[in-house]
Amino acid sequence: MADTPPSTPLPPAAQPSKPVSEALLNDKWDHAISSLLIRSTLGLSFGVVFSVLLFKRRQWPVWVGLGFGAGRAWEEADATFKRGVAPSGRDGLRLVRS
Amino acid sequence: MLRQVIPLASQAGRRSIGSATRIQRPATRLGPRNFPRCYADSKPSDPNTKPSIHDSNTIVLPGTQSTTAKSPQPPPPGPVLSPSPTSHPVKPFSETPIPPQSVPLVPPIPPGGKVQTAPPASIPPAQGVDPNPATTSPGASTRATSVPPPLSPPPPSPPTSKRKSRWFRKTLQAFLILTILGYAGGTYYSLLSDNFHDFFTEYVPFGEDAVLYFEEREFRKRFPRLTNPTNRPPADTSNKITIPSKSGVSWKIAGDEHQGSDLQTKGRHMSALDANKDGGTKTEHAQQTPSNATGAEKIGVEQAKKDEPPGPKIKPIEEKPEPATPPPPKEPEKPAPKPTQSPKKDTDRLPEVDEPSRYVPIQPIDPLKISNADEPLVQDLVNIVNDIITVVNGDSPHKYASTMGKAKSELAKVGSRIMSLKQAEKQAADEKIRSTQREFDTAARELVRRLEEEMKDQEIKWKDDFESERARISQSYQERLQTEIEHDRRLSEQRLRNELLEQAVAMKKQFLSEVTDRVETERNGRLSKLSDLSSSVSELEKLTADWNSVIDANLKTQHLQMAVEAVRSGLDTADRPRPFIKELAALKEIASDDPVVNAAIGSINPTAYQRGVPTTAQLIDRFRRVAAEVRKASLLPEDAGVASHAASFVLSKFLFKKKGMTVGDDVESILTRTETLLEEGNLDEAAREMNTLEGWAKTLSWDWLNECRRVLEVRQAMDVIATEARLEGLKVD
Repeated sequence: MADTPPSTPLPPAAQPSKPVSEALLNDKWDHAISSLLIRSTLGLSFGVVFSVLLFKRRQWPVWVGLGFGAGRAWEEADATFKRGVAPSGRDGLRLVRS
Repeated sequence: MLRQVIPLASQAGRRSIGSATRIQRPATRLGPRNFPRCYADSKPSDPNTKPSIHDSNTIVLPGTQSTTAKSPQPPPPGPVLSPSPTSHPVKPFSETPIPPQSVPLVPPIPPGGKVQTAPPASIPPAQGVDPNPATTSPGASTRATSVPPPLSPPPPSPPTSKRKSRWFRKTLQAFLILTILGYAGGTYYSLLSDNFHDFFTEYVPFGEDAVLYFEEREFRKRFPRLTNPTNRPPADTSNKITIPSKSGVSWKIAGDEHQGSDLQTKGRHMSALDANKDGGTKTEHAQQTPSNATGAEKIGVEQAKKDEPPGPKIKPIEEKPEPATPPPPKEPEKPAPKPTQSPKKDTDRLPEVDEPSRYVPIQPIDPLKISNADEPLVQDLVNIVNDIITVVNGDSPHKYASTMGKAKSELAKVGSRIMSLKQAEKQAADEKIRSTQREFDTAARELVRRLEEEMKDQEIKWKDDFESERARISQSYQERLQTEIEHDRRLSEQRLRNELLEQAVAMKKQFLSEVTDRVETERNGRLSKLSDLSSSVSELEKLTADWNSVIDANLKTQHLQMAVEAVRSGLDTADRPRPFIKELAALKEIASDDPVVNAAIGSINPTAYQRGVPTTAQLIDRFRRVAAEVRKASLLPEDAGVASHAASFVLSKFLFKKKGMTVGDDVESILTRTETLLEEGNLDEAAREMNTLEGWAKTLSWDWLNECRRVLEVRQAMDVIATEARLEGLKVD
């Protein structure tokens, strides 16, 4: 039996949709940073537009918009980090029904 | 009636001024309603009153008793045609005062019909009042029409005393007539209509009787046969059955009452003796008693013969050979014999009858007598002559006396000749008898002789027969004796033989029983040996079976161990996770009924044998990756946000790394301890160490921990099964 392993081509089943537990935090970091970038950019662009259209090209609207976007992203990331503390799944532990 | 009246009255009211003829009708009907019935009906009174109305111009309804009406009405009280006509303007009405009786009957339609019509024409103005009351009391009018007659006599006006008495009589008369008429009419009408019949019979006294009477009459008329009382009785009488008074059982003795030979009466009929007695009295008519009669008797007889023509024929009886013949002729003449005397002696007493006395004076011719008139021929002759003599005697005996005497002498001669003939005959007969007797004697003697001879022959024959019979019997007896002896001999022989045979059989039986006994004993010895052998064989079999079971158990344990080894080697030698479900299935099959093995296999997580178990090398490799991640989150506080995460990420880079078995509860030390343990190969302890982590660190290491657990489970189960197999092997030995 021990001689036959090469013949069995069964690869370890690729991990499905569920992420590995050690990669959990990294994923959250990725998500947070990307959202920060996108939202801050969005706020910035909104600020630029407002400053051009309404505020005679003043600078502060641009910073305000950036701040709004970044703040929103920060808030979201904070929420996700706080929420993810508890171990989500209970796989590995067996439930024995009595 | 009511219904009829109402419309009429209304009509009258409306057309009061209309045609006079029409009005008249209501007027007549309405009249009674104003006053009690008496006038209501009397239609004829209308014509009377109306003319008066004419005169007085006052409105008076016909038949009312108003004062106005009275004056014109005097006619009714007045008998016929009386004074009224003078007062009345119209002539015809003078006749109307019809006696009250006729009033209700047929309202006379007087010639003044037309005159009647006239007054109503004048009435209308006043009559306007009337019609209305007519509607109010129609019942009165109906009653008036039906019942009025009795009270009708209204003419109380006449004041004089003479008239009063008359009036009373008239009223009575009228009342009677009216009553009769009323009953008649009621009866007639009740015959016609059932409704009125009920009313009439129920409410009118004697009405029922009247109606019933008429009904019955009608019924009788229709069915005279049924009803006629005269018809019935004859029918009954014709069929009547009379029961004779003597019928049935009575205390009287039946024999007492028999008077004659009436066949219809009960009880004994006349006996033959009686018949003879009676008959004897009459036979003389046909026969005479010539032989025995004495002289005196003969005279009596002669007398009787003379008497015969007028009275009943009575003659002496001859005790003759023909007593049977007489009875039939006697019957018809039964009444006659009464005067005769009773039984056999009447021949002597015959003369006692009273008649002969009358005829004595005449000397009659003696009837013929012949000394011995036994011969019927002679008798006949004598009879004939006697008849002639009687006739002659009745007529004029003297005239024919001579002729008769001659005839008698002739007859006597004839009789004597006959007698002589008879005598000659008798002598011849005697001779003949004698000769025949002699013949008989000879014949009898011959017969006796012959009989004796025959008897002798018979005797000889019988003797011979007896001899032969005796010889035969003795012979047969001898034979029987011999056969008997033979039989006995044979029987004894047979018995002897039987006894011998019985003895032989008994001996044989004894021999057989001995033989069987010996055989049995012999066999028993051998059989005991055989049973010993078989028991030893069975023991051997048991032994071999035991050994077989041992071998089986050994084989089983061997197989089990083999299977366990196979699984373990598969697990140990695998360089990457591989499913070992087949090995496990084989193992389970081998240890099918081992509860321990089953439980061990049941404790393994299904994912473990379905996907395989990571090797230790893989586990260590993964731990290194997990440890790096865990270190990043090692500094996180409770409920950390983005900032703290970032801080821990950054600061964890500056931590010092530890080595070996560190002491402390912090994440870094735990991780290093686990790593060392893993490197030592103590997977169990490593897993325990990692399980002590908390918070994010534990979350991150969760998957690795699960894998560790799975591997550990498999290993434990394998250990258990191997131990079980070993135990089995030990058990067997």
